[in-house]
Amino acid sequence: MNCQQFQETLPYIIESGGGGEDESHLQECESCAALVQDLRYIAEQAKLLLPMHDPNPRVWNNIEQSLQREGLLPEGRMPLLGHTQKNSTSQTQAKSWTPLGWALALTAVIVFAVVLTNYKPTPLQQTALSAQNSATDSPQFNSDDQQLISQVSRQSPEAQRAYEASLRDVNAYIADAEQAAKSDPSDASAQALLQDAYEQKEMVYQMATARSLP
Amino acid sequence: MKLNTATRALLFAAAGLGICICVAHAADTRKETRIDIAPGGTVNIVNGGGSITLHSGAGHQLLVTYTVHSAKVEVDQSTSDNKQRVELLTHALPGEKPTADEAKVDYDVTVPAGVSVNVSSTSAPITAEGIGSEIGLSSETGQITIHNIAKSHVNVRSMTAPVSLRDVTMSRVDIQSAGGAVQLANVNGQRVTVGTTSGNIEYQGDCSGGGSYILTTHSGAIDVTLPATASVDLAARSTTGTVENAFPLQQKPHTSFVPQQGRSFAGTSNSGSSSVELQSFSGKIRVKKQ
Repeated sequence: MNCQQFQETLPYIIESGGGGEDESHLQECESCAALVQDLRYIAEQAKLLLPMHDPNPRVWNNIEQSLQREGLLPEGRMPLLGHTQKNSTSQTQAKSWTPLGWALALTAVIVFAVVLTNYKPTPLQQTALSAQNSATDSPQFNSDDQQLISQVSRQSPEAQRAYEASLRDVNAYIADAEQAAKSDPSDASAQALLQDAYEQKEMVYQMATARSLP
Repeated sequence: MKLNTATRALLFAAAGLGICICVAHAADTRKETRIDIAPGGTVNIVNGGGSITLHSGAGHQLLVTYTVHSAKVEVDQSTSDNKQRVELLTHALPGEKPTADEAKVDYDVTVPAGVSVNVSSTSAPITAEGIGSEIGLSSETGQITIHNIAKSHVNVRSMTAPVSLRDVTMSRVDIQSAGGAVQLANVNGQRVTVGTTSGNIEYQGDCSGGGSYILTTHSGAIDVTLPATASVDLAARSTTGTVENAFPLQQKPHTSFVPQQGRSFAGTSNSGSSSVELQSFSGKIRVKKQ
């Protein structure tokens, strides 16, 4: 699965958590993982807005009394936005749905819905897409490569890292060049790229062989 | 004469220092040798670490100077019966396991005209100057530097080693590098080919000589800087990367591909005597005017 395919199923992933293929893509792709994390955060925050609690009426009383003592508030309390009842009763201490809470929650839900429905996956740069696909679609090392790396690692761990990196790059090159050559077999430049890719791999093998000789 | 404690301490310290210096010099063994080689012969050098420097010289002898930094390694030298081939091989002595530093040997070789040189190293930097015959240099990680060479055939292989060629003229050049960057300055000849996997390629010069210049990479960048006098027939293509041209080119009536905005271009300047092909898979290609 590439980024574009993944992003087409985003609403389903946010809603249900996605399937195994989605999970494996998330583990491999940092940008998609970050996107999903952001969307999940928005969804969580939207849920938190719904159960709004009024502060205890004593808080309002205390504020009112303080304001009156300092002469900032005339006798007879002004109704405050979001404050439903002055008296402390068991009913008012229970959860209440204030107009402000409703408004915020509704706004958040609408914004979230608009974001999800209008979300157009940003086409990744073809380079990045190609690199990602190369990394995931092509096997990193075949058995010959593994044997070569193992042989080099016995001689030098530093060289092992260099050979691993080179083989990984060369294999990605071969995979990309093969794909380009398959998509247009008449393209001479694609064939030239493929030949060059194989020459690069041959060179890495020759170097490993030369260093292994007694 | 009676010495006080401070003077004695100073004398002991000086003596200790002297011994240390002697031991250090004893570990470094420098040898110089002259080896006969037939005209048109070949010298092969295999050296893991240290350095290798090649110069050109007169006569029919190789002048080889090498410095060994430990007693755990040695240099074997051999010559074929007809003196067409000379081998210089660094290797560990039986039963010894030298460290990377202990295994280093520094070579300085003066090569007579017409003698070919092949050097293979893992981490040793290789420098070749003024050689006028066939040169084959290969290194995993050691920098490869070649300069002031004419009418030669230069063959370079690098894994991650950076490669630098300067003032290499009228030569045939073939460079393959997996991850090392390749820099060419004033390099021209009948055929100049550079191929890398991820290494960047930089070319500065006029691509003169009516030759064929082919620079290819998978994901590295290709930067070409040409003077206005360059006479080139240039084509640049990238499969998924971008191409930029800031060099005045005349459009060609026919090209082997359909130029695509941002992905490829082609054109000629002056009489278009040299063919220049730049190709990448995902790397960026830029052509600039000097």
